[in-house]
Amino acid sequence: MKRSIITAIAGAAAVALALSSCSSSGGDKGNNGGKSGGAVTLKLVAADYGTGPANASQKYWQGIADDFHKQNPTITVKVTTINWNDFDTQVQTLIQNHQYPDITEGDYFSNYAQEGLLYSASDVLSNPGNLLPVFAKQGSYNGTQYGMPFTTSSRTLFYNKKLFSAAGITSAPQTWADVQTDAAAIKAKGDIGFGLPLGSEEAQAEALLWFLGNGGNYQDASGKWAIDSAQNVETMTFLKGLVSAGDTEPNPGTKNRTDLWKQFAAGKIGMINGSPALIPIIQAGGALTDSDWTSVPIAGKTGPLSSTLGVCDNVAAFKANKHQAEIKKFLDFAYQDKYQIQFDKEYDLLPATTSASNALASDPIFGPFLKALPQAVQYPSDTSWATVKTQIQHTLGTAVTGDPKSVLSALQSTAKKGS
Amino acid sequence: MALTALTAQRLVRRTGHAFAPLLWIGPAVALIGVVVLWPVVVMFHASVQHISPDGFVLGSAGGKNYSNLWHEPALSGVIWRTVIWVVAVVFVTILLSLALAQLFNQRFPGRRVARWALIAPWAASVMMTALIFRWALDANNGVINIFLHDLGIVHKLGSSQADWLGRPTVALVWMMIVAVFVSLPFTTYALLAGLQTIPEEVYEAARMDGANRWRMYFSVTLPLLRPAVLVATLINVINVFNSFPIIWEMTRGGPGYDTANTTVFMFIIKQPYPGEGAAMSVINFGLVIVVVVLFLRLTRWKEQVD
Repeated sequence: MKRSIITAIAGAAAVALALSSCSSSGGDKGNNGGKSGGAVTLKLVAADYGTGPANASQKYWQGIADDFHKQNPTITVKVTTINWNDFDTQVQTLIQNHQYPDITEGDYFSNYAQEGLLYSASDVLSNPGNLLPVFAKQGSYNGTQYGMPFTTSSRTLFYNKKLFSAAGITSAPQTWADVQTDAAAIKAKGDIGFGLPLGSEEAQAEALLWFLGNGGNYQDASGKWAIDSAQNVETMTFLKGLVSAGDTEPNPGTKNRTDLWKQFAAGKIGMINGSPALIPIIQAGGALTDSDWTSVPIAGKTGPLSSTLGVCDNVAAFKANKHQAEIKKFLDFAYQDKYQIQFDKEYDLLPATTSASNALASDPIFGPFLKALPQAVQYPSDTSWATVKTQIQHTLGTAVTGDPKSVLSALQSTAKKGS
Repeated sequence: MALTALTAQRLVRRTGHAFAPLLWIGPAVALIGVVVLWPVVVMFHASVQHISPDGFVLGSAGGKNYSNLWHEPALSGVIWRTVIWVVAVVFVTILLSLALAQLFNQRFPGRRVARWALIAPWAASVMMTALIFRWALDANNGVINIFLHDLGIVHKLGSSQADWLGRPTVALVWMMIVAVFVSLPFTTYALLAGLQTIPEEVYEAARMDGANRWRMYFSVTLPLLRPAVLVATLINVINVFNSFPIIWEMTRGGPGYDTANTTVFMFIIKQPYPGEGAAMSVINFGLVIVVVVLFLRLTRWKEQVD
């Protein structure tokens, strides 16, 4: 009697499941069944660097995947791209739900390595030594490199020469005082002085660029969290002054980099911190000619930064689906110089391998940025960075309207608490 | 203990009869069990576990997730905001829908088209609607801002005044407007259906007794519409309480958590602390149940709807 209830319920549940799963079919099929008959499907999840359908990263990766499939007919690479705003969240959700991709390209967090989810660089690359050594530490956990840089960039200060000369400014801003007076002069003409993206997209980068200008950082020299250090509080207080004087766009805590870059490209912003990726946006905007803008080292409190923020986006290879050999084949293929250079030309970013850097060293656009890379400062490689970064993105912007000290202290205690 | 063949046969027939209905209601029961009850169980379970950001269970957390949540400085603001959000949105929605339903209940040329048009905000995805409003409110180029600028209400595009979504209080008001906008169609149709069940004779009788239009509305229409209003309010309360896409797409709950409601807040903290996020979900779930039970009590639901 009991049995029949159980069978009936089980049968009904099976029917219900079959019905409800109709809509969500596909997706995971390559996950476990991939190996049957020697054919393997690799799931690649990458961030989208494109500014529209024409240069979507889906195209770039699909191109590599197709070339690769021609040479390795038994391996199919299924490419998924996710826009930058949602990349961390979506990848983390995939991982929280144990729906592991094989390869990700975008932000990488050392907690994945800590959890033992990843292959090391030497597991899945024939020549890991070709990766730029300056980024090795950030991708490493316990001395082994897991995050493999795929593309890099360094930050500089872009300014609009047209707005500068209209406001009667003749020289590039080098100090915070310069930034303040120049921004006020541009604001007086009716434009935005300084574009300050402290919204949830990339607040952690903008804040670090300012912290560096005052000798601060997220961690001190010994690797201890120092988010609420005296220098950082002073830095945010300076920014708060800049914001309340109206020298930035209104409400910087809600503004994202992508939107402000577009406004800079439209000629409405005097100064903004940018990376080479801003260049194609300016060119596509059509409002500024090449002689209307320029980029210089980022202004610090007393002088320009000698070392800027170097950001690298990493490839990570996940163990869960046990595709080590196939991943290695694909990554060796994708890391060829021609694909590195194709990526850099497409998005005006910098290469992440020594051989591709050498190939681009004399390039007029990339050369100067490449020269700055070896001294670049990077984000913390701590395993709690993923958590801290999320909190920074959501709350740091309130430091320029509220009390800088308490906002930074809250972040500091999050960082110390870990996960 | 051996059963005779006869009793065994009888047993099969009897149980077969008893469980025949299960065959019919079974799938529905199983569906509810799998997609409604099971997630609730998992949610409660997750809320007392220590889970790493990567989804690994590191052991029991006891009440730690709840106490961490309790110590989140943003929590009380988030809960108050949610309460204000629900009350304001539902109240305005019902009020406007009463008027709209009355309008659509009249005969006028083009009524059919107008009724169809009302479905649009309902048919469009809420996320799309929220995105459209976000762009329309853009400080520099948003169509609403340009319109307000032409009217002289917004003095300068790109200014703090034009940046509606950047200031938390104003952003919240705008998002409430969007929430009302997307709730109107369903509510209006529910009320319209209610209006159409009121027999014409009642109005005739009222007219014979010399009641004017207002008197007729307040003494005849509204009391007879009560069940429809109750159903519409209840469903709206639950919907609006769990509003996520509007806030997420328009402000992501920012600056800070200043425009987040409980659902958005849960989504933000679940990223670094899945267990604490689950605890927030449990609280949210509890709040909805409390609100619904209170509502049913206060309105003496059973007598009204039966």
